[in-house]
Amino acid sequence: MKIIEIKNLKKTYEDNSVPVHAVNGVDLSIEEGEFTAIVGPSGSGKTTLLNVVGGLDDATEGTVIIDGMEINTLSSRKLTDFRMFNIGFVFQAYNLIPVFTAKENVEFVMHLQGAKKAHREARSTELLKAVGLGEMMDRRPSKLSGGQQQRVAVARALASKPKFVLADEPTANLDSKSTENLLDIMEQLNKNENITFIFSTHDQRVVNKARRVVTLEDGKVKSDEKRE
Amino acid sequence: MKTNIKLAWRNLWRNRRRTLIAISSIIFSVLLASWMRSMQEGSYDSMIENVVKFYSGYLQVQDTAYWEERTLENSMEVSPELIHQIENLKDVTLVSHRLESFALAANHQHSKPGMVLGIEPEAENRITAISKKIKTGEFLQPGDKSVVLGKGLADFLNLSVGDTLVIIGQGYHGISANGLFPVKGIMEHPNQEFDKRLVLLDIETAREFYSAYGLSTSLVVMTSDHYQVNHLKNAIGNLLSSQKTVLTWVEMQPEIEQLIQSDRASGIIMLGILYLVIAFGMFSVIMMMVKERRREFGVIHAVGMKKRKMAIVVLLETLFIGIIGCTIGLAVSYLFCLWFYHNPIPLTGEMATATVQYGMEPYMFFSIQPSLFYNQMILIFFISLFIAIFPVYNIYRLKITSALRA
Repeated sequence: MKIIEIKNLKKTYEDNSVPVHAVNGVDLSIEEGEFTAIVGPSGSGKTTLLNVVGGLDDATEGTVIIDGMEINTLSSRKLTDFRMFNIGFVFQAYNLIPVFTAKENVEFVMHLQGAKKAHREARSTELLKAVGLGEMMDRRPSKLSGGQQQRVAVARALASKPKFVLADEPTANLDSKSTENLLDIMEQLNKNENITFIFSTHDQRVVNKARRVVTLEDGKVKSDEKRE
Repeated sequence: MKTNIKLAWRNLWRNRRRTLIAISSIIFSVLLASWMRSMQEGSYDSMIENVVKFYSGYLQVQDTAYWEERTLENSMEVSPELIHQIENLKDVTLVSHRLESFALAANHQHSKPGMVLGIEPEAENRITAISKKIKTGEFLQPGDKSVVLGKGLADFLNLSVGDTLVIIGQGYHGISANGLFPVKGIMEHPNQEFDKRLVLLDIETAREFYSAYGLSTSLVVMTSDHYQVNHLKNAIGNLLSSQKTVLTWVEMQPEIEQLIQSDRASGIIMLGILYLVIAFGMFSVIMMMVKERRREFGVIHAVGMKKRKMAIVVLLETLFIGIIGCTIGLAVSYLFCLWFYHNPIPLTGEMATATVQYGMEPYMFFSIQPSLFYNQMILIFFISLFIAIFPVYNIYRLKITSALRA
């Protein structure tokens, strides 16, 4: 089942009055349960593509259809709600709320969704246990390592039961052990719970784990390789 | 809302030292502002009290024509019921009759127009503390047939205690009014004009002299709280017939109120400068708090927090700083001013001498009117709201992709 459908997507920036075609006519479909890596050299348009697909940035041209909904047509408020209920985000620099504990960070999105306290507590505990942080739920981000923080970010991304998770260079700031650990967790979640993951990455370890690798170059899809 | 409050509260303490500095600056500013205002209002209270005690009292009931034409023809009869009703009003501490007119005061060689004031000695003493101003001799007792003179008048007429004063004038309905009165005391009135003209008599003696039996030119009403004057004016006005009116000290001496208003305005300019300093201090803290969290705002908006909620969190942070600073500032200020209220600062040197000459106590007084303190709180609240406009505006302009790159 197609979860994301991208048609002729273009995103053009102005850089000192010079138009830069960051994404330049991308057509792509993502099926439910995929574990996809988007790769390419710096400036190839990976992050821009993820931002537009995640509703964090507007497209200049083309359409992004998520689960049948054309997100380009949504108002800013509706788009915020759409992101909250449908998309999980994992950012490169962890980006947890520093004044909240790991558990509160995971609960935060559910709180925004209006979930009941009991449900929030049960799900955040379950997710933090799933990412191996059951013993560290009450620690604030400053008391966690980079790898642990990124695992909290994964738990936060999954808290809202999104249709897919967008992860922009999730392992860029991690050491090899933390990277391996994080990738294992995400792979398990993908296999066991059929959660769709889309990464933008430079990291060969991520690429090796991916079951589909989309390569971008100059804002266009250069190759699209599916693996078994 | 609970999570928003929790988030705002914890954000406040992310940089504990910076928040404490911001709060401390508010505390000291509120303390300084309250102290300044307390001293200013305390000096006005003292000025009003002194001015009122010079002569007018806080309120006067008069015949409607008396204020414009101050003659005995416009005097009035006051029933004991009216006195009783006024005395029973809340905040009224004293009601006293006066009969006032002008006559020629003379000795065997000189004469001078004098202000002959018939008073109820005991009540008048409570109003103006006049017995304390007696320099030689004694103050009047009820029923006395003698007079107390202002020192300026006594000196002009070369009279001393025990001498006889001649008063020649015109009584009620044009009846001739002449009399000889022994001088019982000589007082030094702080008002130079009064000092040169004042002749005090017991009211019954004055009524007899002017053939104005049972009449008064005014009824002086005192209160313990001058802030109640307008409320009392209305209450007394409701008791009066159409022939009588009630005037406040402000109506009788508008120049004093104008003086206070202009001085208060200059104090408010100083306060304005002080609050500008507070506002800039708070503004810089809030600006830093918001600027350093730009990426965080981008993330929480990306995961689904609406800009309106983010704005509420920032607004709460601003208000928390303002309210904490203000609450502690008010508590400290109140205690500080309360101490000075009970222990006014004594004046020394020429200032003390000048103050005493004007019949005032040589102290710098303080006020503890509640409004002086809660007004600071209201002001800080609105300053906080105003300052919050900047971060709220920034949040509404936030673009997630550029915030994530911050």
